[in-house]
Amino acid sequence: MKLEIRNVTKRFKDKMAVNQFSMELETGQCVGLIGPNGAGKSTLIKIIADILNADEGEVVLDGKRISKMKREIGYLPQFPNFFQWMTARENLLFMGQLSGISKKRLIEDIPTILTKVGLTGEQNRKVRTFSGGMKQRLGIAQALLHKPALIVMDEPVSALDPIGRREVLNLIQEIKKETTILLSTHILSDAEEICERFVIIKNGTKIEDTTMTELISRNHEPVVYVKITPKDHFWTQLVSQLPYVKKTEMIGSKVKITMDNIDVHKNLLIQHALNNDVDIVHFEVSGNDTLEEIFLNLVVSA
Amino acid sequence: MNPFYILMNKEYFQMIRDFKIIWLPIVFIFLGMTQPVLTYYLPTILGALGGGQGITIDPTMVQQEGGQVLATTLGSQFDQLGILIIVISMMGMIQADKASGMLAFILTRPVTVWSYIAGKVISNFLLVIVSVTSGYFVSYLYVNYLFTDVPISHMLSALLIYLIWVLFMISFTLMISTIFNGQGVIALIGIVFLIICRMITGIHPIIDLINPAGMSQHAMSLLFTGSVDSSIYVNLFITFLWVLFTLLVSHLWISQKKFQQD
Repeated sequence: MKLEIRNVTKRFKDKMAVNQFSMELETGQCVGLIGPNGAGKSTLIKIIADILNADEGEVVLDGKRISKMKREIGYLPQFPNFFQWMTARENLLFMGQLSGISKKRLIEDIPTILTKVGLTGEQNRKVRTFSGGMKQRLGIAQALLHKPALIVMDEPVSALDPIGRREVLNLIQEIKKETTILLSTHILSDAEEICERFVIIKNGTKIEDTTMTELISRNHEPVVYVKITPKDHFWTQLVSQLPYVKKTEMIGSKVKITMDNIDVHKNLLIQHALNNDVDIVHFEVSGNDTLEEIFLNLVVSA
Repeated sequence: MNPFYILMNKEYFQMIRDFKIIWLPIVFIFLGMTQPVLTYYLPTILGALGGGQGITIDPTMVQQEGGQVLATTLGSQFDQLGILIIVISMMGMIQADKASGMLAFILTRPVTVWSYIAGKVISNFLLVIVSVTSGYFVSYLYVNYLFTDVPISHMLSALLIYLIWVLFMISFTLMISTIFNGQGVIALIGIVFLIICRMITGIHPIIDLINPAGMSQHAMSLLFTGSVDSSIYVNLFITFLWVLFTLLVSHLWISQKKFQQD
């Protein structure tokens, strides 16, 4: 299985929702599409699910247009809306049959899949009485039913309370072992938990396509922050002369010092400060930026 | 099983759950009863309520032929209250699926737009056929009992002709339901347009030729006179074109994804 999104562009009146977006997705990957609200995530997902038509570009699955490959895609809408007057089981039967599975096989498969999503006891209840989390799980059951090669999920957990969110996240962890997943979210910790690969989208444009480890190592700097009293500002000049210091920078009352190797040089630096009788108020070795900080940097600055 | 069959099954399933399969025929049975019963008892009712003094009811006026009464069942009941009921019961046909997002959801499955539309039109048309036919038969029984007998062949062929006009009502409502999003607007446009169609029959022969409501007129004249005008064939053909046109517009609208509201 290989999904290719080629230069997809979509405009709504004068607003550019998705702009020249391209990416590729291979079997077994789990990709998180991350972006702030209104970045074009849902629009892109809807284009992949063939609910919207792209103005330009195309989405291709295994070399064929997506509209010819609907059987290979499982789609979970942001707010899965089933026929309220049908029971969970009837809805699955209906959607499953539309996907081209025989009724006989569905009758065998539905109990298994309902157990998987934890709705076994609810199969004969009307969907009208379901909570958001239950609907979401039923939506996942529906997306899995025809054993698609690719599952596309639009904000699968954003609208849920912490308990529902946990249930659905665990479920996605489970199914990701078997299928390829593309999901959109604006909650980073969710993406961080499930996906290995991230595509960050802003104003309809792809600004980053990377993995978690890469993202963190790239944003990891050998930096210490030293807060000193104003009378010791002369020390900053001295420090910048040191052989192991690459760069110094004043940020408010803090000095940001970039060094060759923190582990080796940080004690030397403190020693140097003490020798010069510098009044150290605060000393901090910078930790890794969290995904959240990296995300904010990317989305706000780029 | 092909998607069309599954979608049609779902429609019937829904009609059973909503009890539409029961109430719609009942409403039409009442409508069908009203005309012959009211026509027959009107002199008695007037006599009982109006005091009767100084009013003479011309007995020859009351002696209507059975065919005439059956024709007015179509013209005065089915083409007025009947249109109202058909449009109101069908207005959500596609609009409800659009509003709940089910239309978009269904189309993410390997389902063609044609099978979706055909499932809707055929299932709803069959329901209305059953309803109109039962109402019409009840009317026919009362007419035969209270007035003169109507030949079965006339009765049946008039029904068939009338059902073509009903098919147009449904396909038109389907088109409006596809294009517009508010139930009120759909009901208003559907009812007003269909009633205007019905009202302008008989104004001009050319208009009658292209007016789908002309079919209703032909059904009535068959019951009145026992014969149909030869213009029925052209009218029939053009009505089918209209039905095809409404379905094509709906298909275009859905397949171009114009129903998406974002």
